[in-house]
Amino acid sequence: MNDQPTIRVLLVDDEEDLLEYLSKRLLKQGFTVKATFSGEEAIEAANEGYYDIAVVDLKMPGMDGVETQKRLREIQPFLQCIVLTGHGSIESALESGQQDAFQYFLKPVDYDDLVVAIKDAYKKKIEKQDRRFRQQLEELYSSGLGPKGMKKAIKDLRQIYGIE
Amino acid sequence: MTELKELKKVTRKLASHKIELYQTRGYLQCILQNSADLIFATDVEGSLVSFSKGGEKVLGYSWEEVAGRPIKDFAEDPASFERIMGACQEKGSAVALDVPFRHKEGRTVFCNTSLMDLTNRKGQRVGMVGICQDITRWKKLQEELIRVDRLAEIGRIAAGVAHEINNPLAVIGEASGWAGDLIREAKGLSPDDRHELEDTVKKIGDQTRRCRNITHKLLDFARDSAPTKTAFDVHELLKRTITFLEPEIKHTAIKIDLNFAEGPLLVNSDPRLLEQVFVNLMTNAIYAVLEKGGDNGRIEIQTLKANSEIEISFKDNGVGISDEDQTKIFDLFYTTKPPRKGTGLGLPICQSIVRNLGGDITFESEAGIGTTFTVRIPIS
Ligand SMILES: Nc1ncnc2c1ncn2[C@@H]1O[C@H](COP(=O)(O)OP(=O)(O)OP(=O)(O)O)[C@@H](O)[C@H]1O
Ligand SMILES: [Mg+2]
Repeated sequence: MNDQPTIRVLLVDDEEDLLEYLSKRLLKQGFTVKATFSGEEAIEAANEGYYDIAVVDLKMPGMDGVETQKRLREIQPFLQCIVLTGHGSIESALESGQQDAFQYFLKPVDYDDLVVAIKDAYKKKIEKQDRRFRQQLEELYSSGLGPKGMKKAIKDLRQIYGIE
Repeated sequence: MTELKELKKVTRKLASHKIELYQTRGYLQCILQNSADLIFATDVEGSLVSFSKGGEKVLGYSWEEVAGRPIKDFAEDPASFERIMGACQEKGSAVALDVPFRHKEGRTVFCNTSLMDLTNRKGQRVGMVGICQDITRWKKLQEELIRVDRLAEIGRIAAGVAHEINNPLAVIGEASGWAGDLIREAKGLSPDDRHELEDTVKKIGDQTRRCRNITHKLLDFARDSAPTKTAFDVHELLKRTITFLEPEIKHTAIKIDLNFAEGPLLVNSDPRLLEQVFVNLMTNAIYAVLEKGGDNGRIEIQTLKANSEIEISFKDNGVGISDEDQTKIFDLFYTTKPPRKGTGLGLPICQSIVRNLGGDITFESEAGIGTTFTVRIPIS
């Protein structure tokens, strides 16, 4: 794991005991993990720090999983969402599919499956992000900005993409 | 002269009455010939003097076979039928719902029955007329609907419970997983203790998965949301299902024969749901064949295309299903398999899915010989 970049995972679920164990296990496996217990808390976290993957419970009091995903993506457009549903109802899962969930699992999810999904989602995220980054760089180069403006624009881009 | 006029008038009147009478008779005969109901007339004793064509269908007897016989003898319970007749005599008419009659072939036919007393001009009783409407099919449908309703209700309750249990189950699963992670890296444990602990944690995990399997199946069963339909080839789906089950078939001597209708079998339906049905039916067939043992295990998948529907059948030469079990296999949780092998949810799930898709599922089976399950679904 050491030579790989660490994957930043945002967990959103109102079941606190579950998140406690889930985050401990993911941390031990080398992921960077932030546990939040509501949609509102997750949005706050996304405003403060950068994440690759969000694992979102569909059914939560307050802001539900569908809404949470939507807001998260507004803040961080490349964030990939994995949806957990205890519902067994396709409808809400499909609705979250409209929010482009990377994958959804029926709760309780198998831990190993979840880890595989997180890694796959990360790959997809990087691909998407690289493509867009390059596109934007090209646009920058052909925009005829001066060296100073260019430097600032690149700095902005870095920030958007969470590249340090 | 005036008498002659009068006579002519009366004759004309008579003639027109006669025509009217003929017309009425023709009308009545038409009813008797064409009505699907059993319409009969009896004499004062209650013996049949007329029996409609519909009656021949409802009870299976021809007029020759019933002529002169007491109508009550065709009721399943002659004594209570006599009571209805008595009521009719008293009040001039009687109506009784759901009266059981016995068909010539022995089965019960339920009829809504109305009786009317026949009297002549002098007010003397001359007999009785009856109309019996066969409601057997309707009644069966009603019972089936009630059964489906009850099943759906049980399903909803079960799903509610499953849903509540899911969250604690998830916590147990992750907690045991975490414990396992810790034990793996713990120092200073004796090999015996380590082994014991690892084993215990693994068991907790296994049993949690087992519970999850059940709750997931229950939630599948109770899912009554509208299917998401797309156009796809059922043959492709069947092949995918077999590939999916390959790990289970590989180590056995089971032979799978595909007897597909020519060309692709295109339908507009829900492939995800249908795949679940196929997997369940195949899993059952594989189990039945293995249970019987021997090297001649065979499962044949056949497809047929009709005008507006398709038919997929899974025929196995496994242990078969006893007559007694045949009435129960669609019940929730009914299984003949040992605890770890079956939950008794496979077939109820199949039934609920197939119905949801507007089709039906039937089976034929003989103990010791084998079983065929047939799924029919509309093309779109
Ligand atoms: N092809 C078959 N041959 C013989 N018996 C069958 C076959 N299919 C079903 N049965 C009988 O019907 C019962 C109910 O089947 P069902 O699929 O509902 O549950 P199950 O297979 O026992 O458990 P589950 O499918 O939930 O794991 C089975 O236990 C078995 O006795
Ligand atoms: Mg089964």
